[in-house]
Amino acid sequence: MTYVIGKECIDAQDRSCIDACPVDCIYEGGRKTYINPTECIDCGACELACPEVAIFPARKARGNAEWEMFTADQAAFFSEPLPGHDEPLGDPGGAEALGVIGVDTELVTGWRG
Amino acid sequence: MSDSLLDVVVVGAGPAGLFATYYAGFRGLSVALVDAQSEAGGQITALYPGKVIHDVAGFPAVTGSTLVAGLVSQAKEYSPRLLFDTDVTGIEGLDGGAFSVLTSGRGALSTRTIVLATGVGGIHPRLLPIGHEWHGRGVVYVVTDVAAHTDHDVVVVGGGDSALDWALALRPYARSVTIVHRRRAFRAHAALIARAEREGVRLLTEAEIEAVDGDHRVRHVVVRREGGELLDLPADTIVGALGLLSAPTPFPDWGVEVRQRKAVVNSRMETSVPGIFAVGDASTYDGKVALIATGFGEAATAVNNAALHIDPAQSLMPGHSTDEELAPPTLRTGQLPVVAVGGRPIT
Repeated sequence: MTYVIGKECIDAQDRSCIDACPVDCIYEGGRKTYINPTECIDCGACELACPEVAIFPARKARGNAEWEMFTADQAAFFSEPLPGHDEPLGDPGGAEALGVIGVDTELVTGWRG
Repeated sequence: MSDSLLDVVVVGAGPAGLFATYYAGFRGLSVALVDAQSEAGGQITALYPGKVIHDVAGFPAVTGSTLVAGLVSQAKEYSPRLLFDTDVTGIEGLDGGAFSVLTSGRGALSTRTIVLATGVGGIHPRLLPIGHEWHGRGVVYVVTDVAAHTDHDVVVVGGGDSALDWALALRPYARSVTIVHRRRAFRAHAALIARAEREGVRLLTEAEIEAVDGDHRVRHVVVRREGGELLDLPADTIVGALGLLSAPTPFPDWGVEVRQRKAVVNSRMETSVPGIFAVGDASTYDGKVALIATGFGEAATAVNNAALHIDPAQSLMPGHSTDEELAPPTLRTGQLPVVAVGGRPIT
């Protein structure tokens, strides 16, 4: 179980979620931020922090095509190599040390709002 | 602390650890509960005291703080030793299979068994990226005594409720209070922000501390605002209110096998070290579901197996808590005193 960041984050990227996350598991792409589903402890602090109301629990995505898409896309951000990367990010165990990653998944890179 | 040998040391006073503490007392075991925080509740108290929880058996809806209050009074029933503000710094094996739990400031606790209920790890304030080197010389992360900041120029760094709470608590004492927040908008509740504005707290958004200066203590901060403008502010106190960060418990240092930073346990909730058990978010096994509800069951399983570890002649089954006494007649009708949201019993 994990929380997921949806389309409202794209280009808004307020980053309050990063401040609120107690396990530093929210990673900064180019146009959007992404929650590492393995490192997330499901506390929900980010959901309350987000002024864009972009964050939802993955368990609520079922039956909602857009939310299911962003849930899968968020997992892919960590499990598939990103543009310019040879290896997937995996589970780095902390976003702050990594800094801004600066690139996004294919879905988010090509997103037109 | 006396050096008598305890039966159980529970590490971590979240819901699983509090229930394990109660349960150890109920089984007639001597028990100490150790937690790094100053109050009980673990993640619930630190992250969501006001959230309503719907999946604790017997409570259709209960706030985190009400649940913790109930767990604490239950845990205290058999007078355990409660050691708050105490870090566990190490665990060492003793001759004869007992353990020594090393703590900060409370010496070593000798015990026959240990229940690790350390959750997602120790929870600590997130450190200031710039200025932390002044910690103890004007930089604080917890305000323990507001009056100690009388006539200070105070700078609070952060944008959540705790930043606003501390700014408002210090405002009547301080000469000035400025909140510096790096984002465009505050995460804090709108009512708190409105009150801060009304009470003359200066709010700087899209602003970050660029430098901290002083002599034997902090005197000034330089704040960089969006667009590059630099502000030099007098500051006697800087309050870091950047939220909390958890750090994984160093299980490998204690000889406990881990998978994804959690202690691997068997169906007795026992780790790779006989006599050391793990419950709740600290533990993992095939089919694990990390919930408060399952943590309670894990705590009971761990403590009953700990009793067996201490004395193999004991029964694994404790008997039922209902054996102890018949409920008073007023409670025999099925009208249980359900504790409602807000903490008052429904009568």
